Amino acid sequence: MSAVRVVAPFVLTFGLFVTFHGADSPGGGFQGGALVGVVVLMLAFAFGIDPTRRWLGSWIVTVVAALGLVVFAAIGFGSVALGGGFLQYVRYPLDHPTKLGIEAVEIGGIALIVAGVIVGLFFLTAAGPGGEES
Amino acid sequence: MEYVAYTLAVFVVVTAVATALLRDVLAAIVIFGAYSLGMALLYTLLLAPDVGLTEAVIGAGVTTLLLLLTIAKTVRPSGDRTIERIDPRALFACGALAVVFGLTLPGLPAVGDPNAPIVSYDAVTGHYLTQSYAETGVENTVTAVLAAYRGFDTFGEATVVFAAGVAALVVLRREVLT
Repeated sequence: MSAVRVVAPFVLTFGLFVTFHGADSPGGGFQGGALVGVVVLMLAFAFGIDPTRRWLGSWIVTVVAALGLVVFAAIGFGSVALGGGFLQYVRYPLDHPTKLGIEAVEIGGIALIVAGVIVGLFFLTAAGPGGEES
Repeated sequence: MEYVAYTLAVFVVVTAVATALLRDVLAAIVIFGAYSLGMALLYTLLLAPDVGLTEAVIGAGVTTLLLLLTIAKTVRPSGDRTIERIDPRALFACGALAVVFGLTLPGLPAVGDPNAPIVSYDAVTGHYLTQSYAETGVENTVTAVLAAYRGFDTFGEATVVFAAGVAALVVLRREVLT
């Protein structure tokens, strides 16, 4: 419990670093999102799965994962709307559109999807089938 | 450096065989985590830090936790044998597969060989390595390939990950991912 209390902030920081700095160093949205998701798993192992689930809120995880997919699709089809191909970043009227587009997809898309699905799968596995309750 | 790589390779093979043979599921899961850690170090040593990071987080971390959660809901096999009985047919199939893969090893180029076909004959790889910074502005070529050159494929992969989460929801008949 105290080990997690000490380690969790560093893992979270490392996960955010890997996510946000993935364009210029090893890593990216997938690895960083997984690390951020693992922080929740660590907290759940140390402080109990049900308290962590209640603390996080029931809809957050699903919303985060779905939001990631929506952001990724919006960036992809946004360039189509601007007259280009899918994910053709140069269509966006920005400085360094490709670099910004890549980082937006990594941070706002992939990282959210991976973090959300990892945390969700963990809680789902812990809870087991829920058909009888609903 | 080479000795570290060979030691890690032996470690990975030993832990993989132990995972297959151990009868106690908990012990197998713990050793499987060690196997993933060995693979992560091996990938990093072979200059694939992106893959190593993924293997460390997903293989050693998330998979181990999910497997532990799963066996917490099951019972341990009774009996005092520590090693699983070996099925001769399974042993033959695994051995034959290992021999077939092993036969291809002498055909592979050395690690970092500048004359390796993937570098010298493949125009695509060379283009990525030399032009990706000028064309995308990101220093990590792996990220440039994943999110720009092969962005559509990555979109498909992200959709698959999301669909896997939704499929788990449907199978377990739950309303939300928590």
